[in-house]
Amino acid sequence: MHHQPLTDLDDAVLAGRSSDGDVRAFEVLIRRYTPLLRAYARRTLGSTDELDDVVQETFITAWNRLDRLDDGARVKAWLMRILSRKCIDRIRARRFHDDVTELEVAAPAADAPERVAEARSREEAVETALAELPEAQRRCWVMKEVLEYSYEAIAEELDLPASTVRGLLSRARKNMIRLMEGWR
Amino acid sequence: MTDRDTVRLESLEPDDLDGHTIDELADYLDAGMQPADPSIDDSAACQNALAAIVRLRHSSLGSLEAAAEQEAPADESWISGVLANISLEARAGRDVPLRPAAPTERPVMTEGAIRSLVRTAGDAVPDALIARCTLEGDVTELGAPVHIVVEIAVRAGSTIQRVAADVRETVGQVLATQTDLLVEAVDVVVRDLLPPPTSDDTAAHDDTEEDPA
Repeated sequence: MHHQPLTDLDDAVLAGRSSDGDVRAFEVLIRRYTPLLRAYARRTLGSTDELDDVVQETFITAWNRLDRLDDGARVKAWLMRILSRKCIDRIRARRFHDDVTELEVAAPAADAPERVAEARSREEAVETALAELPEAQRRCWVMKEVLEYSYEAIAEELDLPASTVRGLLSRARKNMIRLMEGWR
Repeated sequence: MTDRDTVRLESLEPDDLDGHTIDELADYLDAGMQPADPSIDDSAACQNALAAIVRLRHSSLGSLEAAAEQEAPADESWISGVLANISLEARAGRDVPLRPAAPTERPVMTEGAIRSLVRTAGDAVPDALIARCTLEGDVTELGAPVHIVVEIAVRAGSTIQRVAADVRETVGQVLATQTDLLVEAVDVVVRDLLPPPTSDDTAAHDDTEEDPA
């Protein structure tokens, strides 16, 4: 057999080879998941010039910890979780002084439903609706609904009381449902 | 999707959800709707709200994948930068002693280098590709018995036993000639199937070989 191109291999094989020290296999994972990780980082941090750095740090941390990944098939979710922590560290460094009470009462702009309603696809509508959420609500929502963190894990990561996280998620849910119901 | 649904979903407070909060409904969904709660299951308003939460969850994931498609592919110089910043030592594993040629020498080979040998040898076996290689036993002790576990992917349509036997033999040989490990056994575990060969395999092969940068 000729060499099998590594680009066609599934995540489990690539993660296994990477863990064994195969840089070429890891490079395939980097190519495969950089756009998704950038999209996630953009959603969490906004469009900043930090995106490249935070994704790079994610891959470096992942490489160092590959032997702790039990199931290589779950490498995508695992990378997203590493990235999520990196993003939170940046947010913390950026604005540790967030006033929790102020965060909780923030709401989408009055014309937000209009902007969501104009979206051409459901995916675009969700993207627009998320962008309209106050930052703390968006952060909690993405951690809960995309990364499937528990309430307790979100509270721990964000260094907030669990009750605050529940409050933020409750508002995020209502805002998202309302905004999305306007989209047809 | 009717106007009535929209009206019902306007407020999302317990008064509109037969006494439940939207968060209770989300938690109920998270718990797989177990144990069954008839006050939710039999409430049309709750069912509407649950459906809205489910739709939202689906599109939250979908929208991230869609957003990923809008991102540019990873920049080549950025990838080189990432690779330049990873440490090969992080994946080197244990130091495995080699038999010294003189009493003052302490030659070693890293576990990572041995895995790399196994990978290169195993990949060269027709219809096989190494997925993972584990060295079991105290490899840091010269002469200690070692057990090698090689996980492989096999080309669909080939004879699995034949490929596994070839890999076992090839790996055993390369370890015997290039290391001083006392290999008790090489276990081959077939983990995966590779897609059957296609006519443009040769072209794909050329592409990957030419472009390491």
